[in-house]
Amino acid sequence: MDKKLPESKVIVVTSGKGGVGKTTTVANVSSALARMGYKVVVMDLDIGLKKLDLLLGLENRVVYDIVQVIEGECTLKQALVKDKRFPCLHMLPAAQTRNKEDITPDQVKEVCEQLKADYDFIFIDCPAGIEQGFKNAIAAANKAIVITNPEVSAVRDADRIIGMLESAQFDDIELVVNRLRPEMVHAGNMLSIEDLVEHLCIDLLGVVPEDKSVIISTNKGEPIILNEKAAAATAFNNIALRLSGQEVDFPNFEEESVWHKLKMFSRNFFPNL
Amino acid sequence: MLDFLKKVFSQSETSSRHKANERLRVVLTHDRMNVSAQVMNDLKTEIIEVIARHFDIEGVPEVNLITEGRNSALDINIPIKGR
Ligand SMILES: Nc1ncnc2c1ncn2[C@@H]1O[C@H](COP(=O)(O)OP(=O)(O)O)[C@@H](O)[C@H]1O
Ligand SMILES: [Mg+2]
Repeated sequence: MDKKLPESKVIVVTSGKGGVGKTTTVANVSSALARMGYKVVVMDLDIGLKKLDLLLGLENRVVYDIVQVIEGECTLKQALVKDKRFPCLHMLPAAQTRNKEDITPDQVKEVCEQLKADYDFIFIDCPAGIEQGFKNAIAAANKAIVITNPEVSAVRDADRIIGMLESAQFDDIELVVNRLRPEMVHAGNMLSIEDLVEHLCIDLLGVVPEDKSVIISTNKGEPIILNEKAAAATAFNNIALRLSGQEVDFPNFEEESVWHKLKMFSRNFFPNL
Repeated sequence: MLDFLKKVFSQSETSSRHKANERLRVVLTHDRMNVSAQVMNDLKTEIIEVIARHFDIEGVPEVNLITEGRNSALDINIPIKGR
């Protein structure tokens, strides 16, 4: 199958803080785009701590990794792992036994240039932190997705990362809020989407609710988007649709409007109204 | 009645969400400018001292950090005594 887009999109998924859902987002959004028929490759740059292969359930099919490609031990084609469920999805694995310092930003750019010929979307799974691994991950990208959780420390790190991306001349930076718990926002115990967008001042790309089925899917090594009933599956699908250029409304996850609440309130008191 | 209801349903000042927003506002402003709250206080005192060396300050001088989007600015308002 051939690529669809004339201009490939190279997207780095980053956060500053670890454990907020970068790898989960890369695995699911890339699978969703591949299911839509786009040619997608995911590049794991969390060298030494790789996890993307596990999330995609491809860990047993990994033969070569990106460091070996860069060092000329194998060709790029040989290193790419194919996903049986999604023929359009390929993965370039990270090395488990090497360090983030073993590759340079220029080498990552070089690999991306080669991939652009065959793929519509190139996703780069960024390691936590702001050191060499971060610099490698952002070097080749022309778009950045910043993942955060509705939590003070994650927002602070996201803000730092946004500042660094802006210094690196990124002009396409979008926000994904992961692990939102609408009922906690209602109760006044969690930052809302509105709050987060106001603090971080960047456009919203998606909102993923806290969802137990994410953990179940991860156990099985299956992307959650295969589970149509899961709330997180819809959210990741919507992100993929928006990346492909479609407009998708944001479902009203959290606060109903004051008006809606008033209606509900009065209905309780005047059920015959 | 409407005001009362709005109050009941809107973000209460004591909620942890409200606290988180307040803390973030301060932390992000300082992070973005790469200065601590202590440095801001020192700066404020120094600015007022410099002005006081050349002018008679009248009333309450104000030095505040204001933010607009991702940008910050110092808002300095120091009333000076005329002749
Ligand atoms: N929406 C979600 N609901 C529930 N658990 C989640 C969600 N997103 C991520 N997780 C869990 O959080 C953990 C960290 O996610 P991961 O994608 O590995 O983060 P990162 O790559 O940013 O370090 C994983 O155990 C994952 O299953
Ligand atoms: Mg990860």
